[in-house]
Amino acid sequence: MIIRKYTTLLFILFAALFSHTAFAMLSMELTRGVSGAMPIIIMPFDTQGVPPTEDVTMIISNDLKNSGRFKLSNGSADDKVTGIIKEISPNRYQVSFQLVEGFKGKETKPNVLLNRKYTVSGNELRSLAHHISDAIYQQLTGVRGIFSTRLAYVVVQRSGDSTKYVLEVSDQDGYNPKPLLTSTDPIMSPAWSRDGKRVAYVSFENQHAAIYVEDVSTGARQLISEFKGINGAPAWSPDGRKLALVLSKSGTPNIYIMDLGTRQLTQLTHDYYINTEPSWSPNGNSLIFTSNRSGNPQIYKLNIATKAVSRVSYEGSYNARASYTPDGNHITMLNRDSGLYNIGILDLDTGVFRVLTNSSSDNESPSMAPNGSMVLFGTLSSGRSVLGMVATDGSVQIRLPGRNGEVQDPAWSPFLS
Amino acid sequence: MLLKHIVKGLVITGCVLALGACSAPGHKAGQDEDGGYGANANGGGVQSSGVGQGSNFGDSAGGPQQSLAKRTYYFDYDKSQIREGDKAAISSNANYLMSHTHAKIILEGHTDPRGSREYNVALGERRANAVADFMKDKGVNPEQIRVVSYGAQRLAAPGRTEHDFQLDRRVVLVYTQK
Repeated sequence: MIIRKYTTLLFILFAALFSHTAFAMLSMELTRGVSGAMPIIIMPFDTQGVPPTEDVTMIISNDLKNSGRFKLSNGSADDKVTGIIKEISPNRYQVSFQLVEGFKGKETKPNVLLNRKYTVSGNELRSLAHHISDAIYQQLTGVRGIFSTRLAYVVVQRSGDSTKYVLEVSDQDGYNPKPLLTSTDPIMSPAWSRDGKRVAYVSFENQHAAIYVEDVSTGARQLISEFKGINGAPAWSPDGRKLALVLSKSGTPNIYIMDLGTRQLTQLTHDYYINTEPSWSPNGNSLIFTSNRSGNPQIYKLNIATKAVSRVSYEGSYNARASYTPDGNHITMLNRDSGLYNIGILDLDTGVFRVLTNSSSDNESPSMAPNGSMVLFGTLSSGRSVLGMVATDGSVQIRLPGRNGEVQDPAWSPFLS
Repeated sequence: MLLKHIVKGLVITGCVLALGACSAPGHKAGQDEDGGYGANANGGGVQSSGVGQGSNFGDSAGGPQQSLAKRTYYFDYDKSQIREGDKAAISSNANYLMSHTHAKIILEGHTDPRGSREYNVALGERRANAVADFMKDKGVNPEQIRVVSYGAQRLAAPGRTEHDFQLDRRVVLVYTQK
């Protein structure tokens, strides 16, 4: 009897501990702020019936604030969000919200921009809140929001002599982290398919590099490539049918394209330099990649039809891991200047290069948000690897504090719905 | 007695929850579509497969013991040239391989953590290939050598000092078969 009581107690204790770990958050921290942001009033949503555990108002507020485009205001703002959360049956909620403009000038009549209603269960409230943020963001900026997207990244946990590598997927704000793969051997270079349903990555299990594609919802995976030497840097084509990758089976790392339907390989570079980190142009006609053919790593562009290669980056002695903005007008890259590795962005029309992160520590692995508004990257905080985000206009920088272990090598998902 | 039961309950509880946690959304060992290996289950650590340090299997190699036992070779920043001071040790191991033709090694290439991850994988491979080429030039059968580059994914010293970075930039020779 006593024993059963204790077991129950322990069970509760464990459940509490485990659920805490499983849902432990990477709460965002604004580290550089906000100039030219739009003021917006977000009224606390009225709750009717038993209030839900998720704080919908706070999720929307954080989303909009962390985008860098909005400044939360209590008084003077042109736009205002109000909402109601009504419990209609146990764990079932009706959520409605309104976005209204015209509060600054009292002479104009307020104008309803958005007025929507949803019915969801309690565990859907968080994603509904992100969905509402997306709707508000798009209405007011004209750009699709990224609050319902996800991140993939690698967590490295070292304890004594053993190291554990976990490939995780989380919401865009770091919540709901879930493991895709756990290994005692390194995992790297996650890359989302264009429909967001699969992730390609490199795993070193059994002491060699191989590329796998894993279904995010089922966890089923396929071995894609395990040639002798490097199997690395997978990148999905915009049509989702091909994978650009790096193989060193010829003796040195070269860029290839694999047709995922036929598994046929086409070799695109044929030299003895380092050629790696291919990334597709939005129209799928060309790749940008990293090569040391000039002596240092720099970014080059490769026309897939003609195989013509031209140099893209000139600023600094080290440029790598480049990727396009969705409009194809800019590329973000890792750039070294005076010894530090920063994230920069190059305007392809003007040739103007700008460093976005001016931290005093090294950064790595820039990955573009699907709307081009922000770049996700790996950075250091008090000597530990964490994830950061910076707006592509430099206006805002955010840090996502790590949980247990080093968080690195991130990839931003495409739009998911 | 009571304590024993509590501990038992705790273990069972832990297992149930751990199983739940394992099987929830992630990848399970043995469920690969292609019948591949599950990294969760028994993907062993790479370091565990070498021959023991300081064993005396190299008696017939002709080189000094110390030289044969030196199996980590360090490199300069962004470079893949073998240092003069390491050539004797690499030669001793090459001689061992030539006199033990069934012996096999893995050369692991590594870099320090700065810079781009995939570029570092390429750089690590260059370092490991530099050692492999040196051994092949000495007459080692290429079939006895396998190269794998981990780039910056297996740091020797996870700190951020110049000294740590130097320890990271290395090639490690591992015997998989004596």
